Amino acid sequence: MVEPVNSPLGKMLLEEVSPVVMVLCTPLVEETFLKNGLSFVETLKPFCNFSNIDVPVRTSSDQLYRLKKFTLRLFYASDIRQPNVEVAKQRLEHVITQAGEKDFQDLKSDPPQISDILSNPESEIAPTWFQYYNKELIRTLSFSEHEAFDHPVACLLVVSSKDEEPINKFVDLFNTNRLPSLLNDGAMDPKILKHYLLVHDNQGATTERTSKVLSEMRGTFGNNECNLLCTNSSKEGNVEHQANPWASFKSSASAAGKLGCVLTGDDIVEIKDLMQEFTSRHIIPYMEQKVRELNQQISATRRGLKNQFKNLWWRKGKDDVPDSTKGPMYTFSSTESQIRILGDYAFMLHDYELALSSYRLISTDYKLDKAWKHYAGVQEMMGLAYFISDQSKKEAEYCMENAFSTYMKLGKSGFQNATRCGLWWAEMLKARDQHKEAASVYFRICGEEPLHAAVMLEQASYCFVLTKPAMLHKYGFHLVLSGDHYKNCDQLNHAIRTYRSAISVYKSTTWSHIKDHVYFHIGQWYAIVGMHDVAVRNMLKVLDCGYQSKATQEIFLRDFFDIVKKTGTKHEVVGLQLPIIDISSLQVIYEDHRTYASQASALVEESIWQSLEDDIIPSLNSGKSNWLELQSKLLPKKYRESNVCVAGESVKVDLEFRNPLLISTSVTSVFLICELTANPDDLKLVDKEPSNSSLGPESSTEHNLGTTSGFSSFTLSEVDFTLGGGEKKLVRLTVTPHEEGILKIAGVRWELSGSIVGVHYFQSVPVKAKTAKGRRKNKLTPTDALKFLVIKNLPRLEGSIDHLPGKLYAGDLRHLVLELKNKSESPIKNLKMKISHPRFVSPGNHEEELTTEFPDCLKKGHEQNIVQRETNGTNSVFAFPKDVSLQGDRSLRWPLWLRAAIPGTISLYFTIYYEMENVSSVMKYRTLRMHYNLQVLPSLETSFEITPSPSRLQEFLVRMDIVNRANLDCFQIQQLSTVGCRWGISLLQPVDTILPSKSLLAGQALSFFFMIKDCRKSGTEEEKTMSLPPSLTDVKLVTQDDDEKLFDIVNSPLASFHESERSCQGASDKSSPNTVDFILISRLAKSSNPSAVPYLPEILSHHSCHNSIRSSNPLSWSLDCPQTIYHNFATSLCEIKLNLIIRNTSNGLSSVTIDTVDCLPDTAAPTPSSVNQSGWRYVPSVTEEMKVTSDVMGSRLDKPPSSMESSPPFIWSGLSSTKVQIQPLSTAEIPLQISVFSPGIYNLSSFTLKWEVSEHENASSGTCEGYPYYLTVLQSE
Amino acid sequence: MANTACFIIVGRNDIPIYEAEVGSAAKREDAAQLHQFILHAALDVVQDLAWTTSAMFLKSVDRFNDLVVSVVQVLNVCFFLNLSTHTRLMLLHDSRNEDGIKSFFQEVHELYIKILLNPLYLPGSRITSSHFDTKVRALARKYL
Repeated sequence: MVEPVNSPLGKMLLEEVSPVVMVLCTPLVEETFLKNGLSFVETLKPFCNFSNIDVPVRTSSDQLYRLKKFTLRLFYASDIRQPNVEVAKQRLEHVITQAGEKDFQDLKSDPPQISDILSNPESEIAPTWFQYYNKELIRTLSFSEHEAFDHPVACLLVVSSKDEEPINKFVDLFNTNRLPSLLNDGAMDPKILKHYLLVHDNQGATTERTSKVLSEMRGTFGNNECNLLCTNSSKEGNVEHQANPWASFKSSASAAGKLGCVLTGDDIVEIKDLMQEFTSRHIIPYMEQKVRELNQQISATRRGLKNQFKNLWWRKGKDDVPDSTKGPMYTFSSTESQIRILGDYAFMLHDYELALSSYRLISTDYKLDKAWKHYAGVQEMMGLAYFISDQSKKEAEYCMENAFSTYMKLGKSGFQNATRCGLWWAEMLKARDQHKEAASVYFRICGEEPLHAAVMLEQASYCFVLTKPAMLHKYGFHLVLSGDHYKNCDQLNHAIRTYRSAISVYKSTTWSHIKDHVYFHIGQWYAIVGMHDVAVRNMLKVLDCGYQSKATQEIFLRDFFDIVKKTGTKHEVVGLQLPIIDISSLQVIYEDHRTYASQASALVEESIWQSLEDDIIPSLNSGKSNWLELQSKLLPKKYRESNVCVAGESVKVDLEFRNPLLISTSVTSVFLICELTANPDDLKLVDKEPSNSSLGPESSTEHNLGTTSGFSSFTLSEVDFTLGGGEKKLVRLTVTPHEEGILKIAGVRWELSGSIVGVHYFQSVPVKAKTAKGRRKNKLTPTDALKFLVIKNLPRLEGSIDHLPGKLYAGDLRHLVLELKNKSESPIKNLKMKISHPRFVSPGNHEEELTTEFPDCLKKGHEQNIVQRETNGTNSVFAFPKDVSLQGDRSLRWPLWLRAAIPGTISLYFTIYYEMENVSSVMKYRTLRMHYNLQVLPSLETSFEITPSPSRLQEFLVRMDIVNRANLDCFQIQQLSTVGCRWGISLLQPVDTILPSKSLLAGQALSFFFMIKDCRKSGTEEEKTMSLPPSLTDVKLVTQDDDEKLFDIVNSPLASFHESERSCQGASDKSSPNTVDFILISRLAKSSNPSAVPYLPEILSHHSCHNSIRSSNPLSWSLDCPQTIYHNFATSLCEIKLNLIIRNTSNGLSSVTIDTVDCLPDTAAPTPSSVNQSGWRYVPSVTEEMKVTSDVMGSRLDKPPSSMESSPPFIWSGLSSTKVQIQPLSTAEIPLQISVFSPGIYNLSSFTLKWEVSEHENASSGTCEGYPYYLTVLQSE
Repeated sequence: MANTACFIIVGRNDIPIYEAEVGSAAKREDAAQLHQFILHAALDVVQDLAWTTSAMFLKSVDRFNDLVVSVVQVLNVCFFLNLSTHTRLMLLHDSRNEDGIKSFFQEVHELYIKILLNPLYLPGSRITSSHFDTKVRALARKYL
């Protein structure tokens, strides 16, 4: 800690609390000195500060001490009065304005870093003009009546030798009428030391006259009191002073060169000597003597116990007299004033002990008198005395606090004094490193006047920086407060300066309101002072203010655009926050060998395409030998990993823009910033010229610079859009390179409201390059993902499917056309297509248009498509004919069949592979990818149940349950066909009886019955494939007119769809031969709501495959014998011959063992009884199939059921067990015989068939019970 | 009685994690930023005081004109996450009702701890729970 004397306050006190010398001079004297550009006082001023005057002083005590530092203050008599408040105010304002102008130039620079501020030495933190301001502020209070240190100690009377009658002039000068009023009205002691000075101007006066006057003076006023000052010795008037002593006092630097120009070095030395002598010989001894005098006088009257009591009593008595607040209460001659003068003089002579004791003495008096201003003044001085003598800190502070609050109590009149007191107090605290307290003192002296408050607040803020640890939050806050005050009194430069410093505090804050406030206001102010670019820079920070109210946002934006407009130029701002770019949304879509038919197909996941394309692109091994290796040979390793795009084809970038504000903003001319450089390897090979040729629509950015002879090497798309409040928009931007090389997408650029340009660079952002190949993906760095190797122009196939409906009913069969187009001149060949859902789409066979209209072409009689296409279900690659080659504008129209197989939402993926002819490029082939979505609504649903007919061997009964699942529409069923040549089908009852309305309503369910007949013949293969007449496989159900042709199900679309249906539905065991496939063809009766399905379906086909016959047996059999036999039992027992016909329906050789059982049917049922043996009565429990069979039998045979089994027994009289081998699909007849003993009805079911089928490897076996077969034997007449 | 009150929870590194203007006084245009400024500046004082007292409730730590800043110091350790959060609940108010403020702080502190216990809440991130917000406002009406 510095010594109090050397602290700023100590220095200040030395300057401010120092003897005042009143100067009285004649106009001629002034004139003389004005030749130097200085007044008389100004000339002397630099020589009034003595750093080492070394004068011995002895005041009250007997101790002698030496004064080291000493200062005199010189004032003209006219200045010795209380300064006008208004004038003082103006002067202060001037000081501030000047200071503001001075550091105006610094404002442009960026705000300082907070660490810089903290590392600055203490003295540099606060601007220097504060000291000057504070001094001026204190000076406004000089010559107040309640203090004595401003009372003139001496009077310097100056007369020029050129004056007429100089002696009289001297007398005139000290004429009481012209003395300051303070001296006259008794506030100050008019009896002061007088000193007479004669000024001799070497330029104009003669020395003779001067010496004469001088001797006359000495005669009149005494020898000691008179001095001669010779001046202006230089004739030329161009003396340059090395260190101009006046420069620091005269603020106007313009006249600095002229200052003292006619004063030679000798003159200056003379002035110096004069002042030194004047001080040491006259003033100090005079003061010394005065102090001693006063001390004695006061000791006599006031010191000591007796005097104290007397004084107290006297004061008590005075209480009755009301205080006259007007006018000076105490004249210079009053005891109180005397004591005060004593104290002040002692203070000035650095005898702080004496000063303190006298202040203490007087302060109680003033307090008792309720002379608060005087009291406060004394307290103030006490505090200062304590401080400077380095005594009790507490006392000092207490005194200052006391003085301050007392001044404050006085109201407005005391405020100025309070300010000065506060300043001193703060300085005192600062000197003791109590910066925080100092700050609070500054804060307290703010007052109401904004300019004053601003300066005080700013000083307070600097105190916060100086505290340890630095209170930066407070620092910022006070700076902002001060800035606001500065702004209120139009001190914009200062306002900006404070805010600029505050920004360094708030730069990284997340307190949004604070940040916005600071940046917005400083931006506004910069704009007012005309620094628009800086203003814009600051305003940019508040643009992302989504949390503010709408009104605030509007203000922000409006002001921002106003300022931007004023700048006149289009600013380019990197990282503009409006609108916000969502980098995670960045998606790059480009086409290398993979091309896309539509936007939707580009967004499909790469893995789907890859799995689809596995078959058609050259396989990995062979691929490596052709294109991959080729590529690696052609390209340096560096570029093998970069993306490839083709010249002339655009690279698309999807980017999401978000408006953080509630106000809608328009964003215009959004485009990518790209850079196309020639391939460095090409450069090496081809030409050495580095041609950085790139161009944007507005080549204002550095990246889009470089117009090479007006030829643009790439084109960019421009997008304009408006973002509503809080809206997000996905924007597609494209760049189309026209030359080979390396294309780099560097960033995006946009214009905000047509006035400011935002730029965003994509440097260090994670980009998902959408179409990057899976195995390369991990290697790609983000920047690589935006780097493309542009290769030579290649043909590109465009494809579309016409009239693909988005919504259709299940089973809907459509004829579509795939249109392929190659716009480039070079042909492509070797087209292949793969479809993700062969069940839904099947390509046609010929390029030609169909001769007849759909759906008639599907009907029988159009035989052109009957060629059976061999498609294997696993590989659905469709190769276009070899001669198909596309070139120029020719388009290829290829028929496609679409059938909505199952309801649901289906994504159809088409990929078309093609190879380029005669193009020597790294890319040998490309693929075109198409993607469509279908919504398939449920329509008719069928289920079939097939049961063998019990009466006929190769006939089966079919029940078709059909439900209309559609929401609204009705369907007509037209035709039911069986697939293949095996099954003939016929209706059991006419449809009209079941469905008189001819159409199936929505939600309706119905059952139809059919008979199917197995037309297979046993025998050779040829026989098996021998086809049935086709007409037998189809049944017409509901027809519009009778001569309508049936649909041909062996025709290409239906047959091929059936194939795929078979493979899809073929979950059940394929080995089972007894399956029937049905195709139901229906049509939409009429659409109740035409808009539901945009294109009306013409024909719907429903395929039901692998409907197995509900019988587990590979055998079917029947007993062949008459039903009624007449026999004369009188003669003999009746022997009846039966024929059991067994048909092997399986494809394997089967061996059958027939066992006849000769016992009651009750016991002849072996299998169930083994289950139900524990005392239960036998209930014929039958399996489901058996039940159905028996039901059917019951109804068909119209015979009494098995309940009447009280028939007499019969015996099997033939073979009891027979084993036969039956060839596949052939029949065998086994003769059986029974013997009947009496007439009756006999159930001939008591036999079992044990069969074993060995079909290929798998063998199966089982047992069948005989069906009930009733034989009636009657007695013949 | 129309009063002014601004409640802020300040997390680590002086980042505000929750802000609410809970006063009933008619809003001045610049109130939000003024309150933020005052509270922000008070952080310095809190920082000083934090080392001198073991009390959680710091009463009024700073004042600006007639607005007082009260602070609750939360030095709780989230043991389950092994993270200590140096959180301060700060209230800027112009009422003299110290008891009310104390109970307000107590209840808000409880709410805050509940938020902390939420496994989906990352300590130090902004509190966006609307439930918390309504509760705090209700408490402010009750106590302040």
